[in-house]
Amino acid sequence: MHILDIVQNSLAAGATRVEIKIGEVLAEDLLMIKVRDNGRGISQEVLSRVMDPFFTSRTTREVGLGLALFKEATERTGGYLEVHSEEGKGTWVLACFHLNHFDRAPLGDMGETLGVLISGNPEVDFFYEHRVDGQIYLLDTGEMREILGPVGLDDPSVLDFVRQDIQIGLKKIGAATFPQVMEVLR
Amino acid sequence: MKLKDLAGHLEWELMTRNVPVEAEVKTGYASDLLSDVLANSIEGDLWVTRQTHLNIVAIAVMRDLSGVLLANGAKPDPDTIEKAVEKMVPIFRTHLPTFEVVGRLYQLGISGER
Repeated sequence: MHILDIVQNSLAAGATRVEIKIGEVLAEDLLMIKVRDNGRGISQEVLSRVMDPFFTSRTTREVGLGLALFKEATERTGGYLEVHSEEGKGTWVLACFHLNHFDRAPLGDMGETLGVLISGNPEVDFFYEHRVDGQIYLLDTGEMREILGPVGLDDPSVLDFVRQDIQIGLKKIGAATFPQVMEVLR
Repeated sequence: MKLKDLAGHLEWELMTRNVPVEAEVKTGYASDLLSDVLANSIEGDLWVTRQTHLNIVAIAVMRDLSGVLLANGAKPDPDTIEKAVEKMVPIFRTHLPTFEVVGRLYQLGISGER
């Protein structure tokens, strides 16, 4: 949910390429989510107030409550959120969570998240990387577009493929769908 | 009061088919912070929350709660229901907001005292 919100900020800022990188470092009990875009960026003045929920929801359209809520979600687990931006170059959001904290919400269905993003923005290049220690899953719609040729990325069969590929790929690398402290769920 | 007898008072629907709702409920807890529920709920509590993800089932199992009531029309995620059925955790859903739900439970004799 948060990832979708953050990427929507990127799209509203005119990004043509969005990178979503998720990393799980088991030994350090760390979950990192990085979203980087090549949108128009945010000025330093706005950047300094970007996580203030009152400022963001009232005066700018490009940045909603998403960041403030995302920050709160990281801090609930003892983590933090950083936002870096350069006007004309893009924005970079880093969210760090304790992987196995009780208040760390499940990551959600990344296949569905990417499906929604691609179907609504087939012209944008989405790069998704998910690492669990040394193992890695990659999806690059820019690369896919070249291979697909005339078939659009928003073609239903392509979207189905993306959803399934992500689900299978994440399972393969052992991505944490929920915190391990919730092991009674297994 | 039994879980099933609360239904009419709370305008709820049972989301978990075939999960028994015979448990006697004497106490309840309301919170959306999972670590808080883990720390402060007691066995048999009916838990009122707006969280809908899978982890609520884990908390209910770990604390042996009598059930989970999703307030304010919150819709559980599909995998939450699936897991709740597997773990026999009854999940209910009501359109009533949390304050109203807790007020009605209190009037029915369900206490929040620890």
